[in-house]
Amino acid sequence: MEQVEAGLATRARRAYELGRARTALRYAPIVAVAALAAMSCGRPAGLSCALGAALFLLTGALCFLGGIGGRAVVAGLLAGCAPLALPLLTRTLGYACLGDRCASLCMPACVVGGIAAGAVVGLLSARWIDTPRDELGFAASALAVAALTGCLGCTLAGAAGVLGMLAGVAAGSAPVLILARVRR
Amino acid sequence: MEREGLQRSMVRLADGDRSAFAPVFEALWPVLRAFAGRAVGPADGEDAAQAALLRVFSRASEFDPSRDALAWALGIAAFECRTLRKRRARRAARELPVAAAADWLAPADVAPSPEAALIERDLRAAVATVIGGLRPIDAETILALESGDRDVPGATFRKRLERAVSRFRSAWRDRHGAG
Repeated sequence: MEQVEAGLATRARRAYELGRARTALRYAPIVAVAALAAMSCGRPAGLSCALGAALFLLTGALCFLGGIGGRAVVAGLLAGCAPLALPLLTRTLGYACLGDRCASLCMPACVVGGIAAGAVVGLLSARWIDTPRDELGFAASALAVAALTGCLGCTLAGAAGVLGMLAGVAAGSAPVLILARVRR
Repeated sequence: MEREGLQRSMVRLADGDRSAFAPVFEALWPVLRAFAGRAVGPADGEDAAQAALLRVFSRASEFDPSRDALAWALGIAAFECRTLRKRRARRAARELPVAAAADWLAPADVAPSPEAALIERDLRAAVATVIGGLRPIDAETILALESGDRDVPGATFRKRLERAVSRFRSAWRDRHGAG
């Protein structure tokens, strides 16, 4: 009887892990849409696919492992919408001209998108997470997902755009996280 | 483990905490086995309980913490028991008429007991009545299966036989119920 139960426990454990793996795939369509959006706006297919694959692996692994990291995926994807969409949208506007000087809007869009993403992650981690220790893990996971999502759009402005977006993420999240920590 | 303990462990398991696996397994297995045993009988209860337990763990990551873990697990077990009962009824409905027809068609090479002979006579009469009520082509096809006297190609005969057996089953159910 004990042998039967041990075998059943092994099968149940396998069923649980397979169920988690299946659940981890639920964000794959969102990642695919983000990569397709980047490609449809003229981003190189290879680069977009590589970034999409990295984002898919990151969200899948976080969801599969669960816990704080798993909960951070939604926040990261939500926050990453800003740095993904802003550069792609400004691309349709082209250049902003003031007098006889024109400048691309892509770079500022990446920075602003990054700041917005950082702020969203900071706000959500302050709202959704109770303990400071968990807050750090949540923010780190969500920021990684948001940054990778943002990279899909910010490659439009080259490496400088990606770096600007990352700086924006740090600049946007730090004050909100510090403020939340102080309030506690 | 009390109900609150199971609820807490189930919430942890849904969140990905693997250390909650053993407490949930130990709490749920006896409950599901007893529930399934009462629902479908001791013979099939074990199978239904195992299927339910695997389903519970497979869907553990979808568990909504606002729901009651025990009620959720028992709901899954009830579904598994219902599925097992339906499958059993379908199998019985499929097998009995065909078995009856095969018995009727097969030559009796051993002398049956008086009781068995009586049952067989009744069964043959029932099968004959149902076959008599079928369309002529269906009745001919079923009878041709026994005699081997087929006047159509093999593939056509197989299709006709499939349709005839399907109508025979349906007529048998109408006349004699699910069995």
